[in-house]
Amino acid sequence: MPAPPLLAADLIGELPAHDLLHILALFRTDLHRLTAAIEAAAAAADLPALRRAAHGLAGAAGSLGAADLEAACRRAMAAPSPAHAPEIRTLADAADQGIDDAIARITPQ
Amino acid sequence: MTTPVRVLVVEDQPTQAELARLFLSSLGHDVRIAATAGAAFAAAQDWHPDALLLDIELPDYDGLALLKQLKQAGSDAVIVVVTASASMELAKQAIRDGAEDFVVKPYNRDRLAVTLSNALERRALERAPAQPPASPSRPRTEAAPGNLSGFVGASPAMRAVYDVLKGVAPSKASVFITGESGTGKELAAEALHRLSPRAPLSFIALNCGAIPRDLLESEVFGHVKGAFTGATSDRTGAAKLADGGTLFLDEIGEMPLDMQVKLLRFVQTGTFSPVGSSKAEKVDVRFVCATNRDPHLEVQAGRFREDLFYRLYVVPVELPPLRERGDDVLLIARQFLAQFSREERKHFKGFSPEAEALIRAYPWPGNVRQLQNVVRNIAVLHDAPVVGPAMIPAPVNRAAPLPPLDPPAPSLAPSPAIAAPPPADIEIMPLAEMERRLVIAAVTHTAGDIYRAAALLEISPSTIYRRLAIWKKAGQLPPGFAV
Repeated sequence: MPAPPLLAADLIGELPAHDLLHILALFRTDLHRLTAAIEAAAAAADLPALRRAAHGLAGAAGSLGAADLEAACRRAMAAPSPAHAPEIRTLADAADQGIDDAIARITPQ
Repeated sequence: MTTPVRVLVVEDQPTQAELARLFLSSLGHDVRIAATAGAAFAAAQDWHPDALLLDIELPDYDGLALLKQLKQAGSDAVIVVVTASASMELAKQAIRDGAEDFVVKPYNRDRLAVTLSNALERRALERAPAQPPASPSRPRTEAAPGNLSGFVGASPAMRAVYDVLKGVAPSKASVFITGESGTGKELAAEALHRLSPRAPLSFIALNCGAIPRDLLESEVFGHVKGAFTGATSDRTGAAKLADGGTLFLDEIGEMPLDMQVKLLRFVQTGTFSPVGSSKAEKVDVRFVCATNRDPHLEVQAGRFREDLFYRLYVVPVELPPLRERGDDVLLIARQFLAQFSREERKHFKGFSPEAEALIRAYPWPGNVRQLQNVVRNIAVLHDAPVVGPAMIPAPVNRAAPLPPLDPPAPSLAPSPAIAAPPPADIEIMPLAEMERRLVIAAVTHTAGDIYRAAALLEISPSTIYRRLAIWKKAGQLPPGFAV
């Protein structure tokens, strides 16, 4: 698995800790939902659905600083194909770990 | 201090909607969220927001359609479109359709605050009674904001470029700059570097079209002593020199295919081996590439590797030609005139209205570089307080004044300087008119297939679409012409 991305680094200082934790929780939900949607669309060869889900995930990933995942999703948007799904899954798993790391950084010890 | 306003966030993705809500609330604004275009339209009717933060891609119908629907319904809310950098054409379309501004994802709180505040302020100024200019004789300069020094211009097309450059600068994402020769591609690359956290380290520029193909690998990756005849000592390549900074590969479309394979490996892994060495070196480099060709057509034609293209084409930046930048051409001409007057110790203070009309009408196929040469020519050869039309050199002095949205003006009588009969096999006409006829002929020839027409003309399909829209609005398309 690639190294987990450093998530929400740019948001620290812009938002209080409880808001950051709220955003990270939302992102985790979006991450799981949209990654599953991309895989389902890939399995069904439903390219419009794949592009839509990649669009949503690209925006969310970009907002939180998951640059590699965002770039993979944008490639999937530019040239939708089931072949993008495995790479997105790998990067989504890394981002999932990145969420845990970010929560640990933000949560007061 | 921010004046609190009502902002309707139109966004269907929960993370992004919530982030926007938190940013805006922390600025003191009253915020509501609509997850569909239909819900947004209803909220705009009931709640009367001062501003909408509008995502273009929505589940029921797209943001551009909502924008038109709101305008038709008489909504006067300021609309700021949220877009990905890859969707710049849509953002520009939104501005043409009445959006006040746009912001590129991902954005932070400060960027959103400034964009929204500027958009509200512009709208307030547009509604204020007109004031006479404070000093009509003083030349206006509208330089690009922030660290985008070097750029001059305030046209919507350039504001779009500034926003992308500022938005993408902090990331490591590769940037692919396209645009005709002379539009400022290297300037854009330098601005990106200057705005990025890599600014303290090197910006290394390589022109792939200017380096002999046998030397290109050595220029990029360096070589060790004895690697080839003439390699009398170790040489550090651009990749190593750019470590921690930015590597700008200009005219990347000229790179030979075998070198593209090596570049792809470098882009993928960040590692390379100097020519003649088996030892891999790892560096941290941000890639910025540029070409004056249409990269999609180059890929289709097999001259540019698709895998490399998608690695590098992460954030595209399209620099508009000068002829599409409206009054920017005058702002830039004035800036050059002030600069060259100082350098040449001349007394120019500005251009006469007639001279400005010629500059505005000329299509500038060589873009800013050509304009720079023309103004330098004037500053070197003449001296007066005002540049008159007689000082404007050919071919600019032959430009017919063609306000872009008016019907075509009757042709100017040829000046004595060009009174010789035209060659028998070609009709001499303003370049802009020649362009219009050629594009229409290509589209007609391909039975409306814009992509084939673009390939024949070796220009971007989007250029054809833009031209056709302008000519249609100006009533300059032939009767019955349809795409």
